[in-house]
Amino acid sequence: MPVAASAIYFLNLRGDVLINRLYRDDVGGNMVDAFRVHIMQTKELGTCPVRQIGGCSFFYMRISNVYIVIVVSSNANVACAFKFVVEAVTLFKSYFGGAFDEDAIRNNFVLIYELLDEIMDFGYPQNLSPEILKLYITQEGVRSPFSSKAADKPVPNATLQVTGAVGWRREGLVYKKNEVFLDIVESVNLLMSSKGSVLRCDVTGKILMKCFLSGMPDLKLGLNDKIGLEKESQLKSRPAKSGKTIELDDVTFHQCVNLTRFNSEKTVSFVPPDGEFELMKYRITEGVNLPFRVLPTIKELGRTRMEVNVKVKSVFGAKMFALGVVIKIPVPKQTAKTSFQVTSGRAKYSPSIDCLVWKIRKFPGQTEPTLSAEVELISTMTEKKSWTRPPIQMEFQVPMFTASGLRVRFLKVWEKSGYNTVEWVRYITKAGSYEIRC
Amino acid sequence: MALSGMRGLSVFISDIRNCQNKEQERLRVDKELGNIRTRFKNEKAMISNDWGLKEENAMPSKFSTLLSDRITLTSLVHVKGLSPYEKKKYVWKMLYIYMLGYDVDFGHMEAVSLISAPKYPEKQVGYIVTSCLLNENHDFLRLAINTVRNDIIGRNETFQCLALTLVGNIGGREFAESLAPDVQKLLISSSCRPLVRKKAALCLLRLFRKNPDVVNVDGWSDRMAQLLDERDMGVLTSSMSLLVALVSNNHEAYWSCLPKCVKILERLARNQDVPQEYTYYGIPSPGFSLCFELLLHWTCNKGKAEIYLRNFDFWHELGDTDSWCSREQREGVGLINRLNIKSLVAVGSWMWSYLFELELISLTFLSQLDKSKLSRGELEKVKTMRALQYFPTVEDPNTRRSLFEVLQRILMGTDVVKNVNKNNASHAVLFEALALVMHLDAEKEMMSQCVALLGKFIAVREPNIRYLGLENMTRMLMVTDVHDIIKRHQAQIITSLKDPDISIRRRALDLLYGMCDVSNAKDIVEELLQYLSSADFAMRKNCHLKLLFSQRKFAPDLSWYVDVILQLIDKAGDFVSDDIWFRVVQFVTNNEDLQVTEAASLKAREYLDKPAIHETMVKVSAYILGEYSHLLARRPGCSPKEVFNIIHEKLPTVSTSTIPILLSTYAKILMHTQPPDQELQKQIWAIFSKYESCIDAEIQQRAVEYHALSMKGAALMDILAEMREVPERQSSLIKKAEDSEADTAEQSAIKLRAQQQTSNALVLTDQRPANGTPPVSQLGLVKVPNMSNADQSTAEQGLTHANGALTVVDPQPPSTPSPDLLGDLLGPLAIEGPSGTAPQSEPRVASGLEVGANEDALAIAPVEEQANTIQPIGDIAERFHALCLKDSGVLYEDPYIQIGIKAEWRAHHGRVVLFLGNKNIASLGSVQALMLAPSHLKMELSLVPETIPPRRRDLPVLDFSYKFGTHMVNVKLRLPAVLNKFLQPIMVSPEEFFPQWRSLSGPPLKLQEVVRGVRPMLLAEMANLFNSLRLIVCPGLDPNANNLVASTTFYSESTRAMLCLNRNRSSDRTQLRMTIASGDPVLTFELKEFIKEQLVSIPVPSRPPAPIPPQARPTSPPSAALSDPGAILAGLL
Repeated sequence: MPVAASAIYFLNLRGDVLINRLYRDDVGGNMVDAFRVHIMQTKELGTCPVRQIGGCSFFYMRISNVYIVIVVSSNANVACAFKFVVEAVTLFKSYFGGAFDEDAIRNNFVLIYELLDEIMDFGYPQNLSPEILKLYITQEGVRSPFSSKAADKPVPNATLQVTGAVGWRREGLVYKKNEVFLDIVESVNLLMSSKGSVLRCDVTGKILMKCFLSGMPDLKLGLNDKIGLEKESQLKSRPAKSGKTIELDDVTFHQCVNLTRFNSEKTVSFVPPDGEFELMKYRITEGVNLPFRVLPTIKELGRTRMEVNVKVKSVFGAKMFALGVVIKIPVPKQTAKTSFQVTSGRAKYSPSIDCLVWKIRKFPGQTEPTLSAEVELISTMTEKKSWTRPPIQMEFQVPMFTASGLRVRFLKVWEKSGYNTVEWVRYITKAGSYEIRC
Repeated sequence: MALSGMRGLSVFISDIRNCQNKEQERLRVDKELGNIRTRFKNEKAMISNDWGLKEENAMPSKFSTLLSDRITLTSLVHVKGLSPYEKKKYVWKMLYIYMLGYDVDFGHMEAVSLISAPKYPEKQVGYIVTSCLLNENHDFLRLAINTVRNDIIGRNETFQCLALTLVGNIGGREFAESLAPDVQKLLISSSCRPLVRKKAALCLLRLFRKNPDVVNVDGWSDRMAQLLDERDMGVLTSSMSLLVALVSNNHEAYWSCLPKCVKILERLARNQDVPQEYTYYGIPSPGFSLCFELLLHWTCNKGKAEIYLRNFDFWHELGDTDSWCSREQREGVGLINRLNIKSLVAVGSWMWSYLFELELISLTFLSQLDKSKLSRGELEKVKTMRALQYFPTVEDPNTRRSLFEVLQRILMGTDVVKNVNKNNASHAVLFEALALVMHLDAEKEMMSQCVALLGKFIAVREPNIRYLGLENMTRMLMVTDVHDIIKRHQAQIITSLKDPDISIRRRALDLLYGMCDVSNAKDIVEELLQYLSSADFAMRKNCHLKLLFSQRKFAPDLSWYVDVILQLIDKAGDFVSDDIWFRVVQFVTNNEDLQVTEAASLKAREYLDKPAIHETMVKVSAYILGEYSHLLARRPGCSPKEVFNIIHEKLPTVSTSTIPILLSTYAKILMHTQPPDQELQKQIWAIFSKYESCIDAEIQQRAVEYHALSMKGAALMDILAEMREVPERQSSLIKKAEDSEADTAEQSAIKLRAQQQTSNALVLTDQRPANGTPPVSQLGLVKVPNMSNADQSTAEQGLTHANGALTVVDPQPPSTPSPDLLGDLLGPLAIEGPSGTAPQSEPRVASGLEVGANEDALAIAPVEEQANTIQPIGDIAERFHALCLKDSGVLYEDPYIQIGIKAEWRAHHGRVVLFLGNKNIASLGSVQALMLAPSHLKMELSLVPETIPPRRRDLPVLDFSYKFGTHMVNVKLRLPAVLNKFLQPIMVSPEEFFPQWRSLSGPPLKLQEVVRGVRPMLLAEMANLFNSLRLIVCPGLDPNANNLVASTTFYSESTRAMLCLNRNRSSDRTQLRMTIASGDPVLTFELKEFIKEQLVSIPVPSRPPAPIPPQARPTSPPSAALSDPGAILAGLL
């Protein structure tokens, strides 16, 4: 198992240590000062998450207003360390009720120490699953064994949880209403040239699941992906459906998925953990349905004027609509005055990011609103450097649309008791870094 | 400017202050900048469009809602675009943002336009912001010159003041040119108020410092003298500053001011009639003088620091209590001032030697800002003294006496008191006085007084004073003869070595080093050694160098010296460079005194007993013990075996650089062990054989050699004899010590020594602004895509008819002008006279005919004045020499280019291909390679129709040049087309040889010569040499094995193969008799000379070049062949 950390520090934005835990002796307690001096107080902060100073490596990550810094002096596994941090933050969030910031840390020192003790041992990550940890690290404190009240719940057997065959699920769960929620969340990364040719495009998606199921159910998920369909058609010796098949790359599953079964039968079958979890992640590089097309024309008229025309076309179904669409059109730094004409939404100039920000709250499919703006620049002292024309950025969310075209074909639930389940499926596509050169 | 009145500005500032991190601050600033841009743009739009204004007026309510700050309707009505209030506010904001460190690259126009505003508040903002945001190189300033001039010559004193401040702060050349006369007029005008005149003086000072040539100061000495009579303290102070600058520029002219200076000083020292506002805690404030000095230093430096500092004069006047707008001004800059002190401290990092001064300044500043009660009277005193230092020693006894009196008073009157500010003030005066005393070379009594005073200072708790005390003591030590007095304070200085402040420790170290002489060397070195073990890293290096010196210089006895160095290595091994331990070894080796040697080795042995010793120590000990351990064999624990064991213990821990030394030690131990110890021998051999397969070449070689040698037994003695004495030479240590004084703070002893004649060393007299135009880089001007530029030259030298008939045989052959080394080597080959045709394709691009005349003279050696920047790698002469024997190789190499040569010689044809390889990633421009044939000879040739068999005696010269960056490199190289290239070896049998040999009888066909001074070489080597010269050695021709017989054939275009025979009889190693025979007398001669030269290879003294009329050269256009080198190369390959 790879070493992930020799010490972990939680710092606030000023660089004060909020809380820390040393797991190994190979780093000095004052190494965090080096981080403060050589990283936090320089411009490099945020440029590279891994830095080496004086024989020690610093991995850091900013989460809301807290820096989490991992210090190692040995050859550690960086990916593991970052994964550990991410998981730890999720764990903390689930303990603190969703918030993770400086105040949350200050209010939960004892709990955090307790958790830090549990989730890592001598630099090796341990169980980070909130469900399991919550069984024996309780926020109410430990009940005295001599307490007169008899425990109404049996003391959970943590070892069994960790070592058992289905370590991620407790037995004996009972729900009145058996429900499964399935979310397919995709984010589209795009870089498009000004002429409209796609330079780089991929979709990273994940399937999130929330289960409220009694007993030990066995679930099977069918998607319209290529491997699964082909396998199916072979098995059933009938031609594949005419529908589109999707080729998924880099699929990773939650540990509950039975991989042997996936390899042999190409089906995703699993016993789900209770509550919320991420079932699988995937990536798609080909056959991406882009939800938006952007057609910019930016003209520089002399030294002090610019004309910006941007047309955004939604190419998803007319019945669907995108939410929270924000289009950031970069303008030169010396922008002084702007005037807009938009067919829908609102636009304004934001000097702090040097962009024209055009917001459209609700963007129906198959429409093409336009923005035309006139930008006046102020003349400057310095020799005019040609403007670099950074790309236009876009943010959006399109519910019930997947850029990859992925669809859930079925979700089957088997349980000994044979109860009925209700399945809810949602799709949503978000913008990752959706950039169009202009 | 009532800051409190500008709500927008104060809101903005408080927003910025409330930002939790830099990111938020940046966002806020960007937002504000966007806002300001919009405002300024609006203004322009409105000025240009009338309708805009009307609309504005028609809908004032709408407009006012747009504004983030409250605005009154009235201000909207009477202003175009922005009200002056608004404009002022935004310009202030711009300034604030700029001061925060963000770039503000617009709005300068607005700032400048505010200057011409009629009202004071706007004008003032305009002036301040302009002087902060712009510098003298900005074109915008031209717009303002006229306004500024109007203000200066105007009647309004306030505006005059503002304008003068601006001019002083950013006055560039243009300002100086157009405004200096006006400023001068103001300074001497009697109608102006002192306030204005004071500013004029300061302004003029700045202008003068920046452009001394522009400001006309002819005949100013009288005026300066007049100014010194001024009763107003402010004017006097500033004219004093001006005087300092003028005097430092030209002290002759201001001689007349001297008595007045003394008088002023006297007056000040008595504290007579110094107005209340010019005293500071009872004594005049010295901080300002220091400030001025700093300013002097810093005018040379660009960047933000300058901007802050430029404001200095501005604050200077801020402090004036009599300034009528002082309250407002102070408020306005209160904001800047905070930044200022910070920036001063930041600036300090690059001039940390002045840190303490900065501290003083900040203190002074802070207190000034707090108290708002400024006083500067004694500033005068300081300045006067400084001015006095510029003059040579005062001669006039009266002046001198009064001066000394004053100084005495200052020296006596200064004492350490509680109040920090007062201390700072009084000490500035005091130290200046000390400097003056030193400068004047006062009596011993005064000096001792000074030293006593300094002694008091270095015992004080206040670090600044201690620092100054130590520094001044060091300076004093160097300048005057006060050694004995200073020595009394030795103990105190040694305690200063333990000060927590590193700067004080450094000064103390300097001082200790400086005061070290024979009498106290031992104590001091001991002290330093002790200190070394406790010193921190930053100090160690310095300390140990100093230590080395002091003990080297004053070493009372030699074994003590060795002892100390060994201790030094022990204690600060990391800092001991190789030089130092070499030095120890050298020292021990050179020392004849057996005792010392013995003691050293004993010491070394002792150190080896320590559990953990430094690697350098291992080296020294191993070396010394290897060399001398046999001397102490009889002592306990020093038997060879024990010594070996203890050294061998260290072997696993040392690095590869030490192992060879250890191996040598083993070999030496082995050698010295008499009678041989079998067991030891076995052990050592085992080690040797182990290292014989070591990956490190050095170790391996040593192991192999020592192993083989030690097998030989007694013979070992001969080879591994004791080290010879090492010749004494100037140690590189001294150089190193000088280098190590790199940081400016290190005004250490060595440097001070050099400065001792100028006690005013700290005053910079040269304040040339360094912000002139940067040198225009010429990089990128030359773009010649050229790399595949394999120029080549076919040197198929057709040799003209060799009719065998000999017309001229020059008995003094080398008439070729060749003063250079290689030319000399080849000289013997050259014969003045007819020659074969020059290589036909070679163009005589003799564009520079004059150059052509001495081309030969310049031949091989790169032309010095052109190539001085780029040195060739390797010896060109040597390369050429090697190429005479080989057909391919490197002809020339320097950091950028390598010229390879590949030649094929077949009979009388030769084919030479040159490869030009660029070693750089950048391209080389203007590459040019011309073959310069021995053209002048051709001219002569045409006069002599009969030609003689060929000799390639005049070598084609390659004139090669290229451009790298801005360096033009031109190299002239000789191509190795020498005689032997045209030889073809041939084996002859005895039957063929002897008849021919006999048939060629006597000179000139057969020449014999006894060659002396031959390089000693073995017979086989010589045979090899002949073979490589294409003279094949025919064994078995001569019965005597010591004789070599070689034969070859010579080809030329017109002659057939001609047999050449050669017989060498060597009598001993350095001389031989050589007999050469061939069918042609010239060939015989040439060959003889050639072989002789190869054998001897000792340069013949150079001869002056024969003058050759340059115009005699024919010029012919470059041949087509050369114009397309690629094609030819392709053809050739």
